[in-house]
Amino acid sequence: MDDIRILLVDDEEDFVKTLAERLDLRDLSSETALNGEQALGYVGEKEPDVMVLDLKMPGIDGMEVLRRVREIYPDIQVIIQTGHGNDLDEAEARRLGIFDYLKKPVDIEVLVATIKAAHQAKKNKLANTAAAAAFAEAGEYETARRLSTK
Amino acid sequence: MKLYSATIPGAALNIRSREAYYAGQKQLFAVVVILVAIVPLVFISWTAARFYQNSWLAKTSAEMQSLAESRGELIDLFLNNQENLLAGLVELYEPAWLAAPGNLEKLFAAMNRDGVIVDLGLIAGDGAHLGYTGPYAEHLKGKNYATAKWFAEVMENGRYVSDVFSGYRGVPHIIVAVTDPGRTWLLRATINSELFNALLASAEVGPGGDAFIINRNGEMQTPSRLGSTALSAEEKSLLATDRALAVHQSPDYLYAAAAIKNSDWLLVLKTDINSSLADFYRAKKRDNLIILAAALLILAVATILMRSMMNRVEGADRQRMQLYDRIRHSEKMALIGRMAASVAHEINNPLQIIGDQAGWLDELLDEEKPEALKNSAEYRTAFQKIRAQVKRASTITHRLLGFSRSTEGTKSRVGINALLEDTVSFLEKEARNHRIAIRRNLDPALPDITTDSAQLQQVFLNILNNAFDAIGKEGAVTISTSLTRGQIRVEIADSGPGLSPEALGKIFEPFFTTKQAGTGIGLSISYNIVERLGGAIEARNGKTGGGIFTVTLPVGDRPKEDTP
Repeated sequence: MDDIRILLVDDEEDFVKTLAERLDLRDLSSETALNGEQALGYVGEKEPDVMVLDLKMPGIDGMEVLRRVREIYPDIQVIIQTGHGNDLDEAEARRLGIFDYLKKPVDIEVLVATIKAAHQAKKNKLANTAAAAAFAEAGEYETARRLSTK
Repeated sequence: MKLYSATIPGAALNIRSREAYYAGQKQLFAVVVILVAIVPLVFISWTAARFYQNSWLAKTSAEMQSLAESRGELIDLFLNNQENLLAGLVELYEPAWLAAPGNLEKLFAAMNRDGVIVDLGLIAGDGAHLGYTGPYAEHLKGKNYATAKWFAEVMENGRYVSDVFSGYRGVPHIIVAVTDPGRTWLLRATINSELFNALLASAEVGPGGDAFIINRNGEMQTPSRLGSTALSAEEKSLLATDRALAVHQSPDYLYAAAAIKNSDWLLVLKTDINSSLADFYRAKKRDNLIILAAALLILAVATILMRSMMNRVEGADRQRMQLYDRIRHSEKMALIGRMAASVAHEINNPLQIIGDQAGWLDELLDEEKPEALKNSAEYRTAFQKIRAQVKRASTITHRLLGFSRSTEGTKSRVGINALLEDTVSFLEKEARNHRIAIRRNLDPALPDITTDSAQLQQVFLNILNNAFDAIGKEGAVTISTSLTRGQIRVEIADSGPGLSPEALGKIFEPFFTTKQAGTGIGLSISYNIVERLGGAIEARNGKTGGGIFTVTLPVGDRPKEDTP
């Protein structure tokens, strides 16, 4: 299995630490951040594949982190996992572009499956982009356009 | 099952103070009516009466003054005539001729054709009677007037007119006397003053009125019509004036006075104001009665109008209060919903951690050697139970979040009858198990409406579940649909025990439940959903017992504005 770079962002330390341990048990290594600033700092240093993000945090909140990550690192797949979001938050997050929106409490198996699916989606996207570039080089612009918008 | 109700808490609030308010309004209205309608009425009638009375007084004063003046002039003229007649005789005849027997008698007969002169006397400068003709010759024979007051006066002034007196003749008369220029003899005539009485009697002074002549001492010169023999003190002071012609007024009488006989006498006309105005007073009394009746009528009509108006106001107020109560109720529901949602949010995080911690411990157990842990199986069971309870709690919190869902679901054209059939199909197995019959009384002509079918299905499911719980075992649920007043009406009646009054009041409040394991969320969510879809939901008890839930939905596509 590919090594997935995972970043867990939540202000509840008990939650992120335990989650990291449990993911570790499932052969998924992860980094943790306890607030928006830490999360953005980490992303700047080392771009993760998948980010599990809480919405309600002191300081820079999840929605703001999502907004900035979307702007600068569009390839990162973001999974929102929150106990607070309402439908408006969900709609806003989906508009900004997320892989999925999970409501706490979330079963570990569901989360693991979602993380893996997100990683797969990223890989597909990158492959599509590469294929599109190749087709574009070969002059197959229509195919390239379809691939890149997938 | 307990049903909720649309009873309006607080509708009866403040009834007592409201009644006081309405009573106050009524009093205020009465005062306004009196001020605006009755006071002007009374004022107008009063000023009209005043005006009439004053103009009558002015007119009557003028008439009396002119009457007094003309009668006074007549009396003066009469007295002057008598005086001039005697003066003419004194000029024409010698006293010796007059004293000769028979001559005086001849003169008297010639000048007294109208009977005004009672007798005629010839008196010498020393007061001795030289001749006499008249009815009292016997009395006057040998009489000497030298010491009489009138004699002294005529000798001094040449002429004399007396006051009225009766003397020994027994009839009212006056004496007129004129001397010759040398004051050596004089002629004296006695004049019957009945003529004055006739002149005064013909003066129109009205009922209770009087006309008379007084001298300077206030002594009556003619008989009072009313039989009074002297002036009252009040009248004396009132009439004591030097003016030749004057009008005076006392509270009850009006006087007109004209000075005559060189101001020796005063001719007085007196009118009784009250008697003259008697007709007017009667009319005024009648007018007052009419005004009183009109005032009472105005008050009565105003009171009736007021009462009906206040009843209408009261009715409108009551309706408005009911509306306020409804709004308050719905705001309360929304507030409770928001609170519930926020509590649910807060609980989700700890739930997540509890579940994760338990799961992790469970996973860590895998790394232990089973033989080193005596109670390994119990640990695993306990962890499973913790996770199961976390899951149960999270089901509740997620339902609570649904309670405050703020966005509209997807809408589509929905046939309510089909949706109900669909919902009932979920419950058919349970109905069979509990021997509950489901009866349908559906209106096939029901139009399709645009609404959120998934949410509506949740509502019907909640109501049906409640109905099943209320029945327990054996019974019936009747589902009816109809189109009533442009709205779709769904009625779900059960054969259960019905709802207690307490439950009717609170059935739609979150966390209110009568079930052992109930959360009290289902119906409150239903309430919010139906409100959001522009409809209404209410619960009541049927006439034969059992609860009835009614959902009404608009046919037109006009859902209510969302209130989060």
